[in-house]
Amino acid sequence: MTRPVAPRGVGFDGESGAPGPGGAVSPQRKPGYCNRFPGFDVLDEAAHWDDATAAVVLGRLRSPEPPRFFNAVEEAAADALFDVLLDQNPGNDHRIPVTSMVDSRLAEQRTDGWHYGDMPADGDAFKRSLALLDADAVDEFGTAFAGCDVESQRAQLDAICRRGSAPWHEFVAARIWSLWMRYACTAFYSHPHIWNDIGFPGPAYPRGYAALGLGKRESFEVPDARPALDPVTAEEPAGRTGATT
Amino acid sequence: MNAVRERNESAWLLADGGRRLDDRLRADMRRFDDDDEIDLVIVGCGAGGATLLQRLARAGWRVAALEAGPFWDPERDWVSDEAGSHHLYWTEPRVIDGADPVPLGANNSGRGVGGSMIHFAGYTPRFHPSDFRTFSLDGVGADWPLDYDDLRTYYRTLEQELPVAGQHWPWGDQHGYPQSPHLVGGNGEVFLRGATRLHLRTRVGPVAITNGRFGMRPHCIYRGFCLQGCKVNAKASPLITHVPDALAHGAEVRPDSMVTRIGMDDDTGLATGVHYLRRGRERFQRARMVAVAGYSIETPRLLLNSATTGFPDGLANNHDLVGRYVMVQGAPQTAGRFDDEVRMYKAPPPEVTTEEFYETDPTKPYRRGFSIQTVSPLPITWAEHVAAQGHWGADLRRYMSDYVHWSCLGALCEFLPLADNRVTLAGEKDHYGLPVARFSYSQCDNDRALMKSSQSVMESILEAAGATEVITINRYAHLVGGARMGDNPRTGVVDAACRSFAIPNLLVTDGSVLPTQGSANPALTIMALAARAADLLVAGSRSGLRPRARP
Repeated sequence: MTRPVAPRGVGFDGESGAPGPGGAVSPQRKPGYCNRFPGFDVLDEAAHWDDATAAVVLGRLRSPEPPRFFNAVEEAAADALFDVLLDQNPGNDHRIPVTSMVDSRLAEQRTDGWHYGDMPADGDAFKRSLALLDADAVDEFGTAFAGCDVESQRAQLDAICRRGSAPWHEFVAARIWSLWMRYACTAFYSHPHIWNDIGFPGPAYPRGYAALGLGKRESFEVPDARPALDPVTAEEPAGRTGATT
Repeated sequence: MNAVRERNESAWLLADGGRRLDDRLRADMRRFDDDDEIDLVIVGCGAGGATLLQRLARAGWRVAALEAGPFWDPERDWVSDEAGSHHLYWTEPRVIDGADPVPLGANNSGRGVGGSMIHFAGYTPRFHPSDFRTFSLDGVGADWPLDYDDLRTYYRTLEQELPVAGQHWPWGDQHGYPQSPHLVGGNGEVFLRGATRLHLRTRVGPVAITNGRFGMRPHCIYRGFCLQGCKVNAKASPLITHVPDALAHGAEVRPDSMVTRIGMDDDTGLATGVHYLRRGRERFQRARMVAVAGYSIETPRLLLNSATTGFPDGLANNHDLVGRYVMVQGAPQTAGRFDDEVRMYKAPPPEVTTEEFYETDPTKPYRRGFSIQTVSPLPITWAEHVAAQGHWGADLRRYMSDYVHWSCLGALCEFLPLADNRVTLAGEKDHYGLPVARFSYSQCDNDRALMKSSQSVMESILEAAGATEVITINRYAHLVGGARMGDNPRTGVVDAACRSFAIPNLLVTDGSVLPTQGSANPALTIMALAARAADLLVAGSRSGLRPRARP
């Protein structure tokens, strides 16, 4: 099966990554978040995907659609919220358009259906909680959530996260937090550029896998270049930076 | 012709080559008119409904299954992608509450022909003999109105039809499997290594995934997307294991048909068929008998939404049992970090099991037990694990970048049946104007003790295997109960033959009828109960109205 070559990775790097000069596609992929899988690009294998899967996954590389569910004020708050939750740099033109992906889900009612008895359905819960984020920010910092600097935004979210099962306005804090995180992570970790950051090769049909077992890799899998990286401290012990065999 | 093919030809009725289903089978499918009074109409075409359909079609019954979701085409409708598989779930609105609310709409729901087995992992363990007598043996749960011996033959024949691959099983009623165990990937290797160091017995399997060609079904390709619908046709689901044979024997499967109410004749006290919506139109299928197989939320909801003057509180609910005793299994997942690359996304998530902790251990402060199995979350589900530890922002991103180093085990804890864990009707309505289900759940002390104990066992296995860090997320899996079977109308909605006590020609043939759940994945047992119910229907089909006594 052959297919036109898929759009190449555009060097997304959530932390520091400006795109290549003029946003051009560089032949060498830019280092991903934490730079653990240098040179790994899921899209290199796209020609081996089945048509139905390719249509869905490559569709995520299209330019974001204008919002249909959020109004402009909500969109700004949601955008800031997702940037902080996912540590995306708002100035990076190649950040994953999480807000647009969430907006589409809510507009098309592709929710999980259920909601807690003490909460409205997901769409209304989003609208209400974004308004509350803005109101809190105005109270504390004198500007809407999106207008705050990143440190203030983080502080505001950290306070909500730490409330746990205590209330945040009319919500159980942990429940609204979990709603935000579920939608944010579902969108973000569905994106092939982000799979590059975590070494996950994505679609695997009809190819499948042959190299099963600890430490084994297919020809297209790239070894972790920083296997001893400590996720909490972001540090790695000296002398343990090489790739595993 | 081999023995399996003689009684269920499904695997030989699939298309070869690039297509997964034989289009002619659907094109030539028998189609009943709404006004035909067919022998049996089945609501829902999953594990219970499709098995019943195939068995009765084989016996010459005029039978149709109405399914709310689509008739899937694996090649066109399913993708090798996590987020792109959301349409496999039942995502109609529902309300959850109680002290420990259980999220729905994902791993515990199904939609379309094949039901939730389309996206189940593939584990098909049998229940243990003790599961049928937990009240007598352990003073908890309930005794079933049938025994393990009543299901043994059905377990064996269905294991051949799926077919199931695995090592010889040393727990419960010892038995072998028709296909040899699969290769294991990194995650299974971790489990086997840790268990060996702890002298803990494990077995590879049992999974309903072909290990070698079976009819037109190819072998597994270890692509790891079992939970997204098997495009390969290697993992079993009724769509490929029972529906093809049913269609070839004159059954109809009517997709995109949402049953809204069961028709009743208040004078005779008998069901007359089902009201349903198809392409926006209200229709009514007449039938001599009705079997409800919509699973533990939708089955009670349909019975409750079908109230009549004769049954003002819902059909077959004259003893306030419909919707009660719904159970989930506590399904904590514990993950361990290894310096080696595990890459758990490779190979099917279901690989290795231990049932060493399944039975009541008299030295423990709790009754009943749990099983432990490999689970291998893909990135989005893995992000839920990481986020559940309270990580977000840069911490989340760094943790996620470590994905290839993590291995993950899951427990299934036998939560006990409690009357107040139940489905009722909420004030909220869906887009058809029908009241939605409200599902309330609260754990008891025994449930919580099992969750804790299983977590510490999983931690010890992973640490024995060399994990440098372990994390746990508390989750739930599976649904059973809600219209349970009993030996009389005060203890059960249905009898051991899945027939409702209150309405002679109304059956429930899905997971709703289970009085307890063991620590086993329920799919095989649901199929076995439906196959047994079918045998009893066929045996009694010339004997007039059924006797009231235990069949």
